[in-house]
Amino acid sequence: MPNLSRRKLLQGTTAFAATSVFASPSRAQAPAAEPVTPALIEAAKKEGKVVWYTSVDLPLSEKVGKAFEAKYPGISVRVERSGAERVFQRIGQEYSSKIYAVDVVNSSDAAHMIVWKRDGWLAPYVPEDVAKHYPAEHKDPDGQFASFRVTLSVIAYNTNLVKREDAPKSFADLLDPKWAGKIMKAHPGYSGTILTATYQMSRDLGWEYFEKLAKQRVMQLQSASDPPKKLSLGERAIMADGTEYLVLQQKEAGNPVEPVYATEGTPLIVGPNAIFKNAPNPNAARLFQSFSFSPECQQLIIDVGGMHSAHALSKEKPGRKSLSEIKLMKDDAAAVEKMSEEIKARYTKIFRV
Amino acid sequence: MTLALAAAERRTRFDLSWPILIAFAAILCALIVLPMSWLVYYSFSDKAGGFTLGNFALLVTDPTFTGPLITTVILATSSAIICCVVAAPMGWLVARTDMPLRRTIRALVTASFVTPPFLGAIAWELLAAPNSGLLNQLYRSAIGDPAAEPLFDIYSLGGLIFVISCYTFPYVFVLVANALDRIPGDLEDASSILGGRMWVTARRVTIPLALPAVLAGALVAFLQAMTLFGSPAILALPAGFHTMTTKIWSLFQYPPKPELAAAASLPLLVLTVMLLRAEHMILGRRGYALVGGRQSDPRLVKLGPWKWVALAAAFLVLMNPVFLPYGALLNAAFSRVASQLVSFSNITLHNINFVFFELSATKLAFQNTFILGFLSATIGTLIAVVISYITARKAISGWRALAFLATAPVAVPGIVLGVGLFLSYTRPPFVLYGTLWILLIAFVTIALPAAYQQLQSAFRSVSVDLEEASRILGATRLQALAHITAPLLRTSVIATWCFIFVGVIRELSAAIMLFTSETKVISVLIFDLNESGDLGAIAVLGLIMLIVTFAVVIAVNRVPGFGGGVRLRNT
Amino acid sequence: MASVELRGLTKRYGDLAVVDDISLRIEHGLLVCLLGPSGCGKTTTLRLIAGFVEPSAGEIAVGDRVVSSVARTLPPEQRNMSMIFQSYALWPHMTVMENVAYGLKLRKLDKALIGQKVRAILATTKLEALAERYPGELSGGQQQRVALARALIVEPETLLLDEPLSNLDANLREEMRFEVRRLHDEYRYTTVYVTHDQSEAMTTADLIAVMNLGKIEQAGSPEEIYDRPRSEFVARFIGSSNILKGKALDADHIDIAGVALRCTGDPLKAGSPTAISVRQHEITLSSAQAAPGAPNAVPATVVRHVFLGNSRDYMVELADGAQLRVVTSAEQSVSHGDKVWLHLPPQRCRVLIG
Repeated sequence: MPNLSRRKLLQGTTAFAATSVFASPSRAQAPAAEPVTPALIEAAKKEGKVVWYTSVDLPLSEKVGKAFEAKYPGISVRVERSGAERVFQRIGQEYSSKIYAVDVVNSSDAAHMIVWKRDGWLAPYVPEDVAKHYPAEHKDPDGQFASFRVTLSVIAYNTNLVKREDAPKSFADLLDPKWAGKIMKAHPGYSGTILTATYQMSRDLGWEYFEKLAKQRVMQLQSASDPPKKLSLGERAIMADGTEYLVLQQKEAGNPVEPVYATEGTPLIVGPNAIFKNAPNPNAARLFQSFSFSPECQQLIIDVGGMHSAHALSKEKPGRKSLSEIKLMKDDAAAVEKMSEEIKARYTKIFRV
Repeated sequence: MTLALAAAERRTRFDLSWPILIAFAAILCALIVLPMSWLVYYSFSDKAGGFTLGNFALLVTDPTFTGPLITTVILATSSAIICCVVAAPMGWLVARTDMPLRRTIRALVTASFVTPPFLGAIAWELLAAPNSGLLNQLYRSAIGDPAAEPLFDIYSLGGLIFVISCYTFPYVFVLVANALDRIPGDLEDASSILGGRMWVTARRVTIPLALPAVLAGALVAFLQAMTLFGSPAILALPAGFHTMTTKIWSLFQYPPKPELAAAASLPLLVLTVMLLRAEHMILGRRGYALVGGRQSDPRLVKLGPWKWVALAAAFLVLMNPVFLPYGALLNAAFSRVASQLVSFSNITLHNINFVFFELSATKLAFQNTFILGFLSATIGTLIAVVISYITARKAISGWRALAFLATAPVAVPGIVLGVGLFLSYTRPPFVLYGTLWILLIAFVTIALPAAYQQLQSAFRSVSVDLEEASRILGATRLQALAHITAPLLRTSVIATWCFIFVGVIRELSAAIMLFTSETKVISVLIFDLNESGDLGAIAVLGLIMLIVTFAVVIAVNRVPGFGGGVRLRNT
Repeated sequence: MASVELRGLTKRYGDLAVVDDISLRIEHGLLVCLLGPSGCGKTTTLRLIAGFVEPSAGEIAVGDRVVSSVARTLPPEQRNMSMIFQSYALWPHMTVMENVAYGLKLRKLDKALIGQKVRAILATTKLEALAERYPGELSGGQQQRVALARALIVEPETLLLDEPLSNLDANLREEMRFEVRRLHDEYRYTTVYVTHDQSEAMTTADLIAVMNLGKIEQAGSPEEIYDRPRSEFVARFIGSSNILKGKALDADHIDIAGVALRCTGDPLKAGSPTAISVRQHEITLSSAQAAPGAPNAVPATVVRHVFLGNSRDYMVELADGAQLRVVTSAEQSVSHGDKVWLHLPPQRCRVLIG
């Protein structure tokens, strides 16, 4: 075990202390920030590759990978993209069969981090940017993960099919009979974004809301990435949920879509990145983790990706609504973690899939 | 000298048969008995591993299970009926009438036969999604009302039945056409000589003779529709309903419920076994017994001017599984927006570029698929050759058991096998999950019955006399095999290899249960891409898949002496 | 070269003895026919000799070497035998030349020698012109000759033939019978020939073994089998015999339909039920009443009558209802229903055992 220093062993023992994602205030003993050293780059190059399990939409996540490959030639990134809940299930299934394939993970369901941290599967590692430029509420006090991305689950409509003045303004508007058969949405059993959003909406609007929505003959998709794409194809006029960054991407590519930030508030989705302890390429994993939180990468996911960032130095893209202008629902990963199973079961009962 | 010879002989007699029997029985057990045992065990277990009937109780009382069960029955029945209504007349037109381009029609049916059903389903999403579907767009612009109700809605039970029928009717077609091919013209001549006119003869003689094939075809179509996973996963979920296969698959979402999945798999297994028995009874009776014997050329019914109508109808039917979907995929591959027709303004190579140069999973998926295709085809053919040799020559006692085990997987739907293999090989002592081995086992198992049946009939067509003639002239058993049997079976063996290979490329239902990130295959990659709506990339991958498949199929058809009729499994 | 001897040879499948305790010695250079109806065990016997089947009891010796016994069976390839199959078993993927040369190639003879031998045998079997053809391109008779050539070229100690002519049409079959015999006389291998056709056996064999239900009913020269059948089965199977059943009156008389017939064969025991055989053409038929007291004259009635061109075939009924077939010359015409007298020559009335 050449890589396991005494310091890391000590950190390992403290890993079980935290109970919620970013719930506890930052503690003094958070591991020291780690700069990207030539030695790390060298070691990473020797490993030659890094495997990133993520729920970020494939074209964007591949762009992140290509940017990394361009910066560190000789290390290839394999993106393993699926819905966050699938990713979670896949890692669980692989780990229970002692298959350690994942190096770095990104999930749109922050609750997963709680579970993995509790199980002691994550390796602490604090990239320099995270230490310096990330607010406390976006990093784990024990240094095991930090918010790679911040996204929203929004309503959106196809501007060819819906006039601006007719467009829904709120979640409640979606229950109008005129939208029956015109709405699509993604699935919390697949998508972490949607699971998180479903939690926040059921908390703030009540499950009755979903019961009513289910009567609108909703087209059920899987990934939160899918509704924006189908929206721009014009398959349905409205998406009741789905990830904001793809709506922005589609809009900025000139496709006829427009996001709606509901008056009740918009679900806030935090997507942390973490390294696994049993990562097959530990050095490449660290290098990738450091790269992910670099201003360069964060600006990429903002500018090209349409996401938001917790990085203090990142700049929002002009022409987009900034987070501060949007009424947000409050995220609560710990609660999602507790209720995840119930949310999925209840959802399946209501929507029958 | 006599003693030495005696010893040698004793060795070959005992050393060969028992180890072979044991080795192959063990292989077949690993392939089929072990997974099915775990499946049954799990279905009677609760979370803690104790005995319970609770899983089954839930299965018959919980509407989230009874709903899919009823849906599945409706789906399978409707598909079976549609398949027969469409495929039986087409089989007759091709086998028994003077309709032009009959060979072309057969080739096109083969094309729909080898098209992966999930790819067809995605292509039909592109065509007939209620709003963005190309056909619905055309319809709306044709009638000049952009707000008109869609002509087709593929996201519905009807749409799903339609798509499943598109890729299931070839099974009925092949059965019917082959049966009609084999009915000797004498039988019809006999009727004509007694004064029966063409149409009377067709009605009184030809159709009743083909009826068993139609019935058997209906059962096969029912089975295929019932056990299909890809198409319902793609079309039923957006429509808001589950079938049994998608339900079983959803039970592996977090938190996984393998006990319930096992219990839900058993009805599929039992139904399949029952239907196969029924098929066997139908075909085993008079059906094919009478159509053997000396062949006389079938007489072709002269359709007159109607033959052009018939041809048009046949092409109209084949639009659905072949022309339209292939066109839609081709369009999506080169269009900036998948649901817009390619034009100068939106033509792009972006999708091709994305698949080959950006998508980091592509290379691995292709590599895995080809490794698995190659290994499954080689190992599957090898096992099938040995077992069919043993059973065709009754070479060792216990050959019946081998024959049974080799045919048994036909009764196990892909997804059920996937569940069984998952339960068997994620736990000690055999942890194969996460390796290509578990997929290899799945693919070999799925391919085995068809490969075995094909090779066994090939062995039977090579008379024992031919081998014995070689032995008596001084050849050892192995020399006889090498000089006589092997060259005579070469074409069948190559054909079997190719069909396993094609089958592996299109397999989804077992792979979806068994893959990990390192062992992803193209079909699973396509399925993943569909969930996030990356239709352009799917179109590119799907077209490559089709090109490879057709290359192999055409290669097989070039092999002389090979006549189709191989049963591929749906996925 | 050597003799072939079967000693108590038995083959059982489950409880069924297909070959049941057969003993037979075939001297070197003889052609033996195993003759019998289908299912009598003759082909199994042949396959036992070839080594394709292992005996359940008994043994087979070639010369002084035991090749098959319950304990060990020499594999077919080590027996220096050749076989001609009912199906000919020509390898469809090889030309006539390749088929014929196969056995020699296995024996690793040098190319020139193989070529020479193949040319010779193809000449003998009149196949030179067809050497490059594939079996699928040959007629039945040609295929048959290829099979012969392929079997003979290896100069086996023993040649086995399994119904070699049964797939040929009638004319060709007759021709090939003599061909087989001619080739046998030329090469003089010990030959075992299986057939169900008695005339084939008669024309080719030195020795005929008539088989029934897994046993040899009678073995002997063709003349012996024909003239002196020892059982009802052999009598019926060989030639066209009438079987008459009655009670023995004394050592050489039997009571048939109230007439005391004198017969030849083993002495009879008075009072025991006995059968005799008389061939159809050995019976004379006359419409004139026989002189009273004339020996072996039996009254009968014609019940059927067929004109066959060079002969007539009568079915007559005796007083006790037994029916006999009688073949007469074409000139002798008697009408249906007429009373006739039959003369059964005493030396032709053969007593059957069992």
